[in-house]
Amino acid sequence: MMKIEVEDLAILGGPKLFEIPKSTSNLTQPRFEQFLEYSREFYNQRQYTNQGPLVQLLEKRLADFHQVEFCVTFCSGFWALVLAISSLKIEGRDEIIMPSLTYRRMADIAAWAGLKPHFCEVEKDTLSPSADSVRKCVSEHTSLILGVHPIVNLADIPGLINISEETGIPLLFDSVESTYESSRFGKIGGFGRAECFSLHASKLVNGFEGGYVTTNDKQLSHRLSALRNFGYTGASGYPIAGGMNAKLNEIHAAMALANLDKIHDQVEHNQQIYRAYRELLQSISGLRLVEFNETGQTSYKNILVEITKDWPLPRDDTVKIINSENILARSYYSPPLHRKNIQYEYIPATLELTDFLSERFILLPCGEHVVENDIVKIAGLFDFISKHGSTIYSSLVRASGGK
Amino acid sequence: MAALFIVVLSGLLGENNMTENELALFGSSPAFENILPVGQLYFPSWERYEIAMRGIFERKYYTNQGPLAQQLECRLQDFLGVKHAICVTNGTIGLMMAVEALELTGKVIMPAFTFAASALSLSRAGIEPVFCDVSAETHQIDINKIEPLLDSDVSGVMGVNLWGGICEQVELVKLAREKGLKIYFDSAHAFGCEQGGIKVGNFGDVEVFSFHATKILSATEGGCLCTNDDQLAAKLRNIRSSYGAGEIVDVVKTSNGRMSEAQAAIALMSLDDYSENQQNNYQLFRLYEDRLSQLPGVRLVKPSGVNKSNYQYLVCEIEEQQFGVTRDMLMSILEKENILARRYFYPGIHHYDEYKNLSIRGNVTLPVTDRLCKQCVQLPIGALVSGEAVGKICDIISTSHKYATQIQARVSKSESSLL
Repeated sequence: MMKIEVEDLAILGGPKLFEIPKSTSNLTQPRFEQFLEYSREFYNQRQYTNQGPLVQLLEKRLADFHQVEFCVTFCSGFWALVLAISSLKIEGRDEIIMPSLTYRRMADIAAWAGLKPHFCEVEKDTLSPSADSVRKCVSEHTSLILGVHPIVNLADIPGLINISEETGIPLLFDSVESTYESSRFGKIGGFGRAECFSLHASKLVNGFEGGYVTTNDKQLSHRLSALRNFGYTGASGYPIAGGMNAKLNEIHAAMALANLDKIHDQVEHNQQIYRAYRELLQSISGLRLVEFNETGQTSYKNILVEITKDWPLPRDDTVKIINSENILARSYYSPPLHRKNIQYEYIPATLELTDFLSERFILLPCGEHVVENDIVKIAGLFDFISKHGSTIYSSLVRASGGK
Repeated sequence: MAALFIVVLSGLLGENNMTENELALFGSSPAFENILPVGQLYFPSWERYEIAMRGIFERKYYTNQGPLAQQLECRLQDFLGVKHAICVTNGTIGLMMAVEALELTGKVIMPAFTFAASALSLSRAGIEPVFCDVSAETHQIDINKIEPLLDSDVSGVMGVNLWGGICEQVELVKLAREKGLKIYFDSAHAFGCEQGGIKVGNFGDVEVFSFHATKILSATEGGCLCTNDDQLAAKLRNIRSSYGAGEIVDVVKTSNGRMSEAQAAIALMSLDDYSENQQNNYQLFRLYEDRLSQLPGVRLVKPSGVNKSNYQYLVCEIEEQQFGVTRDMLMSILEKENILARRYFYPGIHHYDEYKNLSIRGNVTLPVTDRLCKQCVQLPIGALVSGEAVGKICDIISTSHKYATQIQARVSKSESSLL
């Protein structure tokens, strides 16, 4: 239902704009028959995990997709990152350079890999670390550089590679939101020493839960395959140190394979969604859609908007208002990691730009479950908020008892 | 059941007339056409799998503590009679989460005779394992050997419940409490096991189960943490993921320990089948016992300390002098027959590169563990094993004993001809 009066907002007691919540998760679903067909493979072989037939096939398919030599799958992107960092870090050094404006669990990932986060600044244009911001953090303690791609477009790949080559510090990319992207230097997956991806249901390739690492380094791929399986190398002799269980099971692999089969259709859908958002949001004052760089291949997946100076409400209030309407929009990212109460060792940082940017972005619903009419409703709501900002603000203050 | 009974009878009455010539080792065709692995490997029928997965597709809820994961936790709480069951990605991640939630520091005492994951979970969480020897009789941690290992760096004890049996859980908890140590259990082998009307899952600060495909309760991969401590449960849920975290409590670091809806669906069906699968294991266990208990040099390890077991493991010690051939020789004989028996646990974790120095530095000797690592063999029991298969496996084992001298002679002859 369109909002006419400020009191029509769900946060002030009006009916919700969406009956069923609209999430920012992709939640893509393959044809059920396709999923079953893959499932039959492991079922007939009675192999449910431990590098079964579907995990092997998925790794081959993903390596081909990313145009790299090796792919190693994991039970999640989280543990893929932990084990990749553990494998690549320079021993005897204890800091990892990473942005603060990133995934809320990234510092914990570093801690599980035995490193202290050293947070670097990001660039305003890409929302990701620049070579300069990374260079400022490099010291004799630096063990690894984590190049994190933003959720829309890409980080400065050649800049980050240069500094890695200059300093001899290994570079690992977190490419969790960049599965489909290409830069002018080639397809994402083959840069740095390795790249990490996620197969979580919210991502472009839904495998229930899961993750993977791509690399052209044979030794690294063997090492990662062993580490996810208690350190067992498959050869005789003792297992390698630092292993755990981070194996992907066969049902998750079946799901990922079936979704990988339809990835191009999905991107086509995403493109329509993105175009609709772009058209409908452009006339709303105070709101800027972060546009995809269409010179390379892109997934058009994440819809990110920036609140500019003309927007009448703080970002967090805006998110609360739209969440009340069952639009599960998210702050991108809040709080940034250096502002969190971290209970293990890290390098404290002052990051003014990160602080500023962390109060400006909102991630909006996207993915298979979003249709064009949803976007009409979402854009209508933003337009309404934009036009009635001060009234909404005073009503919210009144509703909360003047606080 | 009738078929099983006949097999039992023929096993008891029928003589094994097999000679060494009939072994695949010497060129006969293998006893099994397809490879017979160890591990439970129970799985629902295709029809049930399809219905469960269709349900997930209809709900479009794939992970993040969905309806099936929630249902599974309630069912597990009822089944085990425990206040909190917290489902996780796998047992190892569960053990790592336990270290975090218990805020262990320095060192933790654990048995040396266990699967590598027990020790690896400590190392990944930054804790040094201190290896304790085990009982020759039960294979469980030897409680009398713990005290000499204690020092001011030790913050906890990890008990391990092996082979469908338990260690001295009550006594261990008592000892740990007296010493002011945290106490928790790796109960990967002990789902459904019971002592004095209390199910495993209720002892110590927390117990961790594995729902790997090789275990009696399977989620393909999976596990769960059980505790009766509300505060600890809240911490564990916060460490697992923000989804299903419930009350927000302060934790040092989080992880991703989520169980997906697909994993939960398989585990729910597996839980429905628990009694049936436990019964099947028990019947197979009895068949093995009947055939192997009289065989010199073979000692079948019975689940210790429980009055109900899941019988998910069939483990024997092979004593070379009496049996006639070594454990490793027997493994090769079985392998040629397509029976993939396993050396469990081998190599002993205290010999791993990352732990070797600890053992040397601490001047640790683990004579029982060292012997067991040389002598134990795990034989197939579970979904892929029929009564008839047990008969064949036991025929091969008893033939290996009966013709040990001939086998040794022929093997060394062919080895020397290769030189």
